[in-house]
Amino acid sequence: MSPRDRTDVDPPYDYPPYKSTKLRAPKQPLIRVAPHPIETAGPVFPQTFVKDAEADLTTWGKGAPLGEKMILTGRITDEDGKPVTHSLLELWQCNASGRYAHPVDQHDAPLDPNFLGQGKVLTGAEGEYRFVTVKPGAYPWRNHPWAWRPAHIHLSLFGNAYSQRLITQLFFPGDPLLPIDPVFNSVSDASARERMVCTLDLEQGVEEVALGYRFDIVLRGANATPMGH
Amino acid sequence: MAIRTPSQTIGPFFHVGLKWEGGEKVAFQTAGTPLVLTGRVYDGSGAVIADALIETWQAGPDGAAPRGGPSAKAAGYSRAATDSEGRYRIETLMPGACTGPGGENYPPQIHVTIFARGLLKALRTRAILADAESARTDPLVQAAGARAATLIAARDPKNAGTWHWDIRFQGKDETAFIDA
Repeated sequence: MSPRDRTDVDPPYDYPPYKSTKLRAPKQPLIRVAPHPIETAGPVFPQTFVKDAEADLTTWGKGAPLGEKMILTGRITDEDGKPVTHSLLELWQCNASGRYAHPVDQHDAPLDPNFLGQGKVLTGAEGEYRFVTVKPGAYPWRNHPWAWRPAHIHLSLFGNAYSQRLITQLFFPGDPLLPIDPVFNSVSDASARERMVCTLDLEQGVEEVALGYRFDIVLRGANATPMGH
Repeated sequence: MAIRTPSQTIGPFFHVGLKWEGGEKVAFQTAGTPLVLTGRVYDGSGAVIADALIETWQAGPDGAAPRGGPSAKAAGYSRAATDSEGRYRIETLMPGACTGPGGENYPPQIHVTIFARGLLKALRTRAILADAESARTDPLVQAAGARAATLIAARDPKNAGTWHWDIRFQGKDETAFIDA
């Protein structure tokens, strides 16, 4: 057991049910090494890096996007419960029909001229964040016969240290596609998988306008290292 | 301790949300020696990876971690997607050498995080900007043993300031990645 097995929730690189790992997962052992002195620091994004409008994905077009409008809100903390403040959080997703505004996406579902599916914010003084968006649709992919990705939102986080950098996906509660999604199930621990599922929180929504969902995110401790403490 | 949120793949559509205007040009508060780091990313079949995202973090020319930024950017940090030929390119300044808390001698280097479809979590490594002899003091180079050469960038003999460094996910010259 390594010193950090207790908290190592991440999926393995080599995970055969997700076909793209085959030629991309490293085969050689990863190297244990002490952190370089600058790894406990990290990039500091100035307030001007984000615009207020980037927290609302529904106001980019001439009209409202199609789909179920939703508020996504939560708090980012580290493993020790410390809030991750003034840190960059980026989000991207497909539209309500399951299509990304991306040239590589050839799914036969319509683009929405009023939805680009990109947002970013800096977290607040308590690590809190809030986005306005629409619920993304499920979409087929070619990983295996009848493969469909469950509805999900991609999230990219910087934390307050280089070692905290994380890209993850948010899923929705009760989605029948979750038990058969190889990406979601690449995380072997059930309670860790639960961390990737948001919860319905109506009061975080806007009455008669938008459903509220809560998604709290926990990053590695800023000083945690593979070598232990 | 709270359970961490697990990593998931960046997938093939990350350009939608992660595009930074001029993200490949690193900002610093101080002047220094211009440096270009460029290379290609390969999978286990030897094919180039045209949908990887490379991010770098590095010390400033003084060897210290940059804080804040002089502009609308985060100093010391870059982001660049690979192009259709699997190539990335970062325009930055030569980082300074630095000394670790235990007296470790770190030659100039750039910390690299790689995201891609098929990577359920990011790969982390460091590109060493020194010749093989000077790189020998580096703790990661030492730990990598026979694989150390995969960490060391090569000066372009024709273009001063340009260094080449390829990343290989698998194969005979698989890059030495860090357990991070």
